[in-house]
Order: sequence, then structure tokens, then C-alpha cells
Amino acid sequence: MAHDLVAIMPELMLIVTGMVILLVDPLLPTEGRRGLSWLGIFACITASLSTLISSADEFTAFNHGIALDKYSVYFKVLLLGVAIIAMLLSEKHLHLKKRLLGEYYALILFMTVGLIVMAESIDLITFFVGLELMAYCSYLLAGFFRYEERSIEASMKYFITGAFASNFLLFGLAFLYGTTGSTNYQEIGTAIGAGEVPSSVLAIAIIMLLVGFGFKVGSAPFHNWAPDVYQGSPTPAAALLSVGPKIASFAVIIKIFNIMLGSESDTWVPLMIALSIATMLVGATLAIVQRDLKRMLAYSSIAHVGYLLLAVIASGQSARTMGTSAVLFYLAAYAFMNMGAFGVLVFLENRAGSGDSLDEMAGMGRRFPWAAGIMTVFMLSLAGIPPTAGFLAKFYLLASVVDAGYTWLAVVGVFFSLVSAFYYLRVIVYMYMRDAESEIMVTGEKSWDLSLGLGIAVSGVLLLGILPAPVLNAAQNALEKVLGY
Amino acid sequence: MYDFQDQIGFPILTVMTFLPALAGVLMIAFMRGRPNWYKTTALIATGANFLLTFVILSAFDHYTADRQFVENVPWIKSLGISYHMGVDGISVLMILLTTLLSLLIIPASWNYAKDKKELTFFAAFLFLETGMLGLFCARDLFMFYVFWEVMLIPMYFIIGVWGGPRRIYAAIKFFLFTLGGSLLMLVAIVAIAWLARPNPYATPVFDMDLLQTTLFSWNVQYWAFLAFFVAFAVKVPMWPLHTWLPDAHVEAPMAGSVILAGVLLKVGGYGMLRICLPFFPDVVSTFVPYIMVLSIIAIIYGALLSLVQKDIKKLVAYSSVSHMGFVTAGIFALNVVGIEGGILVMFSHGLLTGALFLMVGFLSERVHTREISAMGGLASPFPIMAGFLLFFTLASLGLPGLSGFVGEFLSLLGLFTYNKAMGAVAALGIILAAAYLLWMFQRVMFTGLRDEKWRKLPDFSPREIVSLAPLGFLAIWAGVYPNTFIDLIHPPVIKLTERLAPYMADGGSTIHNIFASLGGF
Repeated sequence: MAHDLVAIMPELMLIVTGMVILLVDPLLPTEGRRGLSWLGIFACITASLSTLISSADEFTAFNHGIALDKYSVYFKVLLLGVAIIAMLLSEKHLHLKKRLLGEYYALILFMTVGLIVMAESIDLITFFVGLELMAYCSYLLAGFFRYEERSIEASMKYFITGAFASNFLLFGLAFLYGTTGSTNYQEIGTAIGAGEVPSSVLAIAIIMLLVGFGFKVGSAPFHNWAPDVYQGSPTPAAALLSVGPKIASFAVIIKIFNIMLGSESDTWVPLMIALSIATMLVGATLAIVQRDLKRMLAYSSIAHVGYLLLAVIASGQSARTMGTSAVLFYLAAYAFMNMGAFGVLVFLENRAGSGDSLDEMAGMGRRFPWAAGIMTVFMLSLAGIPPTAGFLAKFYLLASVVDAGYTWLAVVGVFFSLVSAFYYLRVIVYMYMRDAESEIMVTGEKSWDLSLGLGIAVSGVLLLGILPAPVLNAAQNALEKVLGY
Repeated sequence: MYDFQDQIGFPILTVMTFLPALAGVLMIAFMRGRPNWYKTTALIATGANFLLTFVILSAFDHYTADRQFVENVPWIKSLGISYHMGVDGISVLMILLTTLLSLLIIPASWNYAKDKKELTFFAAFLFLETGMLGLFCARDLFMFYVFWEVMLIPMYFIIGVWGGPRRIYAAIKFFLFTLGGSLLMLVAIVAIAWLARPNPYATPVFDMDLLQTTLFSWNVQYWAFLAFFVAFAVKVPMWPLHTWLPDAHVEAPMAGSVILAGVLLKVGGYGMLRICLPFFPDVVSTFVPYIMVLSIIAIIYGALLSLVQKDIKKLVAYSSVSHMGFVTAGIFALNVVGIEGGILVMFSHGLLTGALFLMVGFLSERVHTREISAMGGLASPFPIMAGFLLFFTLASLGLPGLSGFVGEFLSLLGLFTYNKAMGAVAALGIILAAAYLLWMFQRVMFTGLRDEKWRKLPDFSPREIVSLAPLGFLAIWAGVYPNTFIDLIHPPVIKLTERLAPYMADGGSTIHNIFASLGGF
């Protein structure tokens, strides 16, 4: 019992802090609430420190419900970092929109707990509980500006498609449980490997899982919710929603498809290849016609999901760990660059009251040289140009795909990444090469929190691009021993 | 792993590569709003780099094909990537071209970008110099690729921010064409680095010295050669991948055109010499006939298009396509003379086309047009300028005694050894070059002054003469005594042909014959 509680120490810290925030929030005047984000950030920092300190012990807890191994440590620290950046980006924005309420931070903390539980779960039920905790918090975050129609629309759309996706997942999981009598990844994997599950049932389960996860990560053809949700949500929340659930979902996808369904890779690899190509196609081409930057970033994140699926396909090749570590590294790079890009949009909304349209980016290079400069870094990184994190992540990912013997898929991947380079460059074109139609009015004040968040993101992107060794090693070592049971 | 050889007390290649970028960062950080400070800083940084080139040249051992001034430090250990720099004769020649042109464009565009974000204009050229030098020094394939892409970004901004009316179209076209080619190269890099591992548990191999002694299977060589070749052919640019070039040149600011034509086109030829030939010797001869045909099409097509251009800058741009055809034809003739000719054409084209673009820039700064038909009779108000233009025109069309002749002659000689008919057709390119260049000169400088108000405009200022004179000086040197430069590139070229010889259909007998018959340079 005590053992189990020690195992979820970081999660407990977040939950308790979230509760405290909810309790003290009504007692505080509006100005006083500004400190609440730092309470949350402090909780996240403490949680990641405690994760790192106890990372030497590897064990399973809650009756093999969660695994504490290097793999979960990697994801926990990454997800806590994402939560920290999200809170840094939010404070000023909420204040300006007069929605600076404690429950926002509590929701981020609870959502982070859900994400962490997903990443460390090795049991279907635990995974599903984590998923639902994450999902409900994210629906609420999407609709947090409840006086704006778009925000409500985003929340509803997210909720309905999310619930739909959860049902597909649950359906697939039920098949697996029904035929194997276990909810543990490793046990189910052993049973499937021994041929105890009829192949027709297995095929249905795999398809259901792919559909469910396809919805959750926003891969085509299950991507339709993403642009509306990212556009309607509060921008700092969109930053979190576009990164956190994807990271945790890929942590689970890797485990489920490799530990549980590793012996069935002949069945799911072709399906995933189709999914991945469709996703890259949709993400790369539809982003070109977007005039709204949040929608553009939504399609761009769809394209990135397509690349990530390539690495998952590579991980399906048994005895190759490169695909998996490529997913891990790519997720870290993606977290920094995508949150950074959304962060710059938050900055522009705060300072210039911009509405995120491409035309409003004109002249930003002159008006806000620093913001435009780091936006350039994020765009180049998303496009995969060195010396940024996005390049190294793409490089490593392509290497894993080629190493697994799918050179043609790598060529397809680079083709779509060339197409996507066009719309990332277009943002730079607008910022630097076009002049604003009217003088940009600077409203709102500076926010040190936001600057710090953007600073962390941009240094992350550059560090991962120039000195990637520590994170790359962590991504490789995370696979030394992935506990399944 | 940590490895420093023939150092002269300090890691000169690293200093040289990152000095301009450092100066650029300092300029942006501390010198906002102080034009004289940042311009002087840019001048000092590029000038120091030019002097460092001579430090390299003086300490350089001309009798070996080995890398010199090697620096080798592990960078990303788990992937076998290291920070590995080193130069041989070919790199040094390209470095000389790079540092010279990067220095000259600073005074040449001293007043160019006034009121147009001047600080970042100069900073962009400094970052560009870092990218170019890094590329020529890189001995690690990963670094090679990083610098290859890093070069793109400043050039993209230079065209897109400070260019002409259709600059955005030209900048995006330039970026996407190059990126398209280089992404294929990225896949090929990954493939060969992982295939070159001695066993599946070893780290990938990115060391270019090791890779050029590895022999991949025929199939791998075939596809990897194609991928690298397309990437380099876009940069050269070879017909039919050249369409970005006229747009980029016409829209780019003067200094941008100079660097684009002077150095960025050369990295294509440099890549072919560094990677396509030594890495994949087995398949080279399979591709040679196609490459030759494409090169000859480029020579003739570029020349014919130059004849009909109305815009003087476009004329020079298409002439680049034609001249670069001699580079690829010479290199893929696969004999010592041809390859050395190709390299000398690259060097001389860098000097001369750089100079021609400067001339075009200075000219249109005065008369505010680039239409050839709108100019005329400019020799009478601008006699010094007319003299310079005549000199560079003659050098560019291959007048014996000037640098253009040596390279084109050797490259044609190499081509003749490969195939006499092809050589004959390519030689037409030189005749056409004489036609379009002299005709251009005549229409611009003679045939009666069009506009009387041009009479009051000033002739060349000392600043403009200073930025052209070194190019003219080197053009004469390379024309009169090309041995200085041939000596430099001879050992690495011999090493390259020795690597190729066993895989040639005739066992490499043609590689040295012609060279011996010339008595050696």
C-alpha cells in the first residue's frame, strides 16, 4: 500500500495542489489569483524532481497497473514540462480575457495527472481511467471562454468526437479482455503470441484500436475535430491540447502495439501505413489553404502525427528499438516547437489584439522583432530545417524508417514535408516580407511569464537541435527495459 | 576520437567558419541604429576571414591529397556524428572564392540597403558566409547536410526581404527547389550512413573519409547517387532543374546575386566531386551519358536564352546556366583534365559572374533600369565602367590569357576525350557566349547615348573600383599562370580519379593518358 502511494507521489502532488488551488481560489481577489499559476508550476517542478530522484527504482505498482521504468520517467518529465509551459503561456491571456480563475490551473494539473497515468499504465483499465481523466479536463479547457461561441463549439465538438473515440477504444479493449481474460499488456501479448485469440477477433480489435487512437491523436480520416477545436479553444489551452494528449497517446500506442500486439505486426503495419500516408496528405495539403494560423497549426500537427506514425511503423519491426526512440525524441521536439508557435500567437493576441489570421502577421517582423524572430525559429523547426530540434527529430525518424526497411515510406514522408515547408515559410513571408496594411496598435502589457515560457520553448528547440545528446540518450535508454508486467 | 592534426596553434577552420556568425550576432545585439559601427564590424569580420584564407594557403601542404587542419570532436556520440572539419585543395580554392566574394560585397553594397533594415541585411550575409565556409570544411556527412540547409535560410531572407518586386515568389521558389532536392539527399544520407555500419550494433558512419572508401551494393549506389545528384543538380543548376535561377537572380539584391552565382552554385559542383563520384564509383559510368547530354543541353540552351534576354541581369543569369554546363561536363568526363577544368570553371565563373553581377548592380543604380534596350552609349559618361565591363565580358567569354579560357579549355579537352562529337557541340557554347556577351556590351555601352541626363552621373567611385579590382586581378592571375590553382587541386583530383579508375569500362586508361600527353601542369 505504502509502496503504491510512493509510486504515484508526483501524481499525488499535482492532485493535492489542484485541490488547494480550487479551495483558495474563491477566497482570493482577482489580482491575487495571478500567483496561482506559480503554485501549479511549483507543483510540476517538484513532481518532476521527485520523478527524477526516484528514477533509479524500476518496479510496477497498483497490482501491475502502472510501471515505473525509464520509459515512464521520460514521459512524465516531458509531460510535466509541457504543463509548466502551458501555465506560463496562460496567465496574462486569461487576465486580459477576464477569465483568470483558479479552476483553469486545477484542470491543467488534473489533466497532467491523466496524461501521466496513460503514459505509465501497463493495464487496459488503468490506461482507460487515465484517458478519461485527461479527456474530461481537456473538454473543459477547450470551452473555458464560455462567453465565446467558438469556445463552446470547440468544447462540444471535442466532447462528442472524444466520447465517440473512447467508445471505439473501449470496444477494442473489450474484445481483447474477453478473449484473453486479462487486462495486463504483457499477459494479453503472451496470449496473443500463443495464438489463443481467434484472428478475426484480433482483426476487429486492431481496427477498433486504430480508429480510437486515430481520433485521439487526430490522424486522418479521424482528424476533423482538430482544426475547429484548436481554433475555438483559448490559445494557451490549444497549445496544451495540441501537444499533451498526443504525447500520452503515442506513449500508449507504442506500448499497446509493441508489447501487446507485437506478434501481430503483419496485421497492423499495413493499416498504419495507410493511416500514416493519409494523415500526412491531409495535414500537408489542407494546411496550405488555411488563412487562420491556429487552423494552420492544427493541420500542421496532423501532418506531424503522420510522421510520428511512420516511426511507430518502424518500431513494429521486431528487434529494432530505433523506431520507438525516434517517437520519443520527436515528441520532445514537437512539444517545444508546437507550444512555442502557439505561444507566439498568445503573445500577439495579448499585445496587438490580433485574431490569428495570416494577414495580421504582416509587418510583425518590424513591430515585434523578438517575437517574430522566435516564431521564425519555431516555423523552421516545424519545417525541419537545421539547426533546430525539428530537423534532428525528422532526421532520426527518417533514419529509423529507412533502417526498418521502408525507404519508400521515408521518401513519401520527405515529399510531404517539402509540401508543408511551403506554409511554414509563408508565415515568415508575412512577418518579414510584407508590410502591415495599417499601423499595428500595441495594446496590453508585457508579461514576464509569457516571455519565460517562450524562452524555455525556443531554447528547447535550439538545444535539441544543436546539443541533442542528453535527450537523445534518454530517449534511447528509455527502452532498455520497458516493464510490461 | 579527439583528433587535431596539422594545427597552426589554433583551430583555424572553426574560427574562420564561426567568426562571421559571431560578428553577426554581436551586430544584432549591440549595434542597432549605428550604421558605421555595424558596417565596419562586417567589413572587419569578412576581412579577417579573407586574411585567414592566406594563413591557410601559406601553411597548406600542396603535395598531399589528405585533409589538412583537421578537427575531429564527437558531437552526437550515439549516432556516430562528429564535429569533423578538414580541407583539401578543392575546399581551399572554394574557401578562397567564398571569403573574397563575402568581403567584396560589403563595400559594394555599402549604401544599398539604406532605410531597408540595413543591419539585418549585413548580418544575413555574415550568417551566409558561416554556412558556406562550414559546408566547404565539413568532413562529416551530417554536418555537410546541416550547413547545406543553414545556407538556405539567410539567402531566402536576402531575396525575400531586400529583393525586387516579385521577390516573395522568387524566394519561395528558390527555397522549395533546393529543399526538395536536399530532402532526397537526406534520405540517401540516412540510408548510406546506416548501411555503412560494419555490424548491426555499431553506430552509423557519417565520416566522409570512411564513406569514400566504403563500397555499397550496386543497387544502393544507384539510388543514393541519384538522390545526391538531384540535390546537387538543383544547386548547380542543371537543365531542366534551373528554372529557379533566373527568378532568384532577377529578384535578388546585387550582393545576393553575387553570392548566389559566385558561391551557392558552386556547392552543387563541389558536392558532386565530394560525394557523387567517390562514394558511388560503381554506378558513375552508368549515369555519365545522361549527365553529359544534360550538360550540353544546359550549355547551348543557356547560351541561346542569354541571346534573347531583354533584362541584363537575366542575361547574366542564363549565362551562368551555360557556364555551369561546362562544370558538370568537365567533372563527368571523369579524367584528370576534365575534372580540373570543371573546378577551374567553377572558380573562374565565381570571380567573373560575381564581377558581372556587381557591374550590373552598379549600372542599374545609376540608370535605374536593367532593360538592355533602354540603355545605350553609356561608354561616354562612364568610361572607367565601360573598361571594367569590357574586361569582365572578355574574360567571361573565354579570352585566352584570362581565367575563363583556362577552365573552359581544360573542360572541353576532357569532354573531347570522352566523346568528340559532344565536345564539338559544347564548343559552340563558347562561340555563343562571345555572341551574347559582346552584343550585350555593344548595346549597353555604344550605339548613342539614350538619355542626356545620364551625362551628369558620376563614373566609378573608388569604393566600386575597390570591390571589382581584386576579382579582375585574380582573373588575370588564373589566366596567365593557372598553375598556382591547378597545383592546389591536383593531388585531390588524382586521388579521386584513382578511386574511380577500377570501375571504368576501360579500366581507367583514358583517365591519365591525356594528362600525360599534355606534359603535366
